[in-house]
Amino acid sequence: MNDKDPSRTLFDGQGVIKFHSEVDRRRFLKYAGMVGVGSTLALTGVACGTDDNGGTAASPGATASPTGAAAKDADVGILNYALTLELLEAEFYRQGLAGNILSGRERELIQPIGQHEQAHVDALTKTIGDVGGTPAEKPEFQFPPGTFTDKAMFLKTASTLEELGVTAYHGQVTKIESPEILGAAASIAGVESRHAAILAALTGGKPFPAPVEASKDMQEVLDAAKPFIKS
Amino acid sequence: MNRRNFLKTSAAVIPSTVALQMLGGGHWVLAQTADFKDDIDVLNYALTLEFLESEFYRQGNSANILRGQEAEYLRQIGADEDAHVQALSQTIMQLGGTPVAKPTVEFGDAFSSRQKFLTTSHTFENLGVSAYLGAAGSIKSKDVLQAAAGIFGVEARHAAVVGSILGLPAEGGVYMGPTETPKPRAEVLAAAKPFIKS
Repeated sequence: MNDKDPSRTLFDGQGVIKFHSEVDRRRFLKYAGMVGVGSTLALTGVACGTDDNGGTAASPGATASPTGAAAKDADVGILNYALTLELLEAEFYRQGLAGNILSGRERELIQPIGQHEQAHVDALTKTIGDVGGTPAEKPEFQFPPGTFTDKAMFLKTASTLEELGVTAYHGQVTKIESPEILGAAASIAGVESRHAAILAALTGGKPFPAPVEASKDMQEVLDAAKPFIKS
Repeated sequence: MNRRNFLKTSAAVIPSTVALQMLGGGHWVLAQTADFKDDIDVLNYALTLEFLESEFYRQGNSANILRGQEAEYLRQIGADEDAHVQALSQTIMQLGGTPVAKPTVEFGDAFSSRQKFLTTSHTFENLGVSAYLGAAGSIKSKDVLQAAAGIFGVEARHAAVVGSILGLPAEGGVYMGPTETPKPRAEVLAAAKPFIKS
């Protein structure tokens, strides 16, 4: 744990993501366990298992898949993981831009970010449907008081969220099987890097923290996000 | 002059709706497979562009035309490009390949003013972003892919910040739409060619 640990800095550690059901919550949590094992656990919708053992075993409700389908299912799991993070970002900017804490060049720079996150939500949702998956439902988000009324708090949270998003995408680069989905995810990840750099510059942070983007695997991103997921 | 053609070419932005249709439709084509022989070929392609950028910032940052935070940002960008040159060269050697030689480059009047330096920088960075994305689908090794993606993201950071200090419009200047746009090898090399003397 250090100062950069988003679980320490995001939303003061308060719960932010509230899933509609226990099944949705477990599905999101289980993405962390399915990396690289081709598990269909996170992709079976209501048939999700009830164990919390990291998802290396097949869900009771999952149909046995041939290798190609399992690979596709793993990609759908990654897309749904990305979708959940994009839903969080889109809602965050929607609420932030609805108020009047931003003006001038700051508003001009942040307004498109909100539009991009919504475009990512729409594109990921469509892509998941196109490949035969079920898009994750939008969770409920509860942001702590002050998030959208204190400009410094809003910008700092935005910066942390963008950096987390960048590391989340880069953590999946080698896990994605389909070249089409890899291309799509990469084309989004580059835009998240732009957002992260601009928000770092706006908040007096480091727009170029390293010559190569850092990456976090699902478990690490999950650890950062877990305190904000309401169960 | 040649540089003008370069800037004109790279200013042609593919509408973001096109990229999103590709994203949603599942018909994304990252690169022609024939574009690259193998990973070493991709890495040497990237190395040529990074050599170009690295030398561009070496000359531009020594021209002493920027002040304050701008100067600091551009120094950091130059240091990143140096690191990319190092990393790519080492990776090529680790894979048993031979890194391409550093090209002889010529930047014309790019360092005659702050505006020209930053504008050319912005063009280079966006070209780099599109080049990496266009080559990503040709990369076979997962390790090479991870490294290339990591560099790609940093080039996007550079492009955004330089666009911002130039005071360009947020959309179409700082950001280039909701998704990055890939460019094929031939298009990237045509854009870089005016700067490469040998």
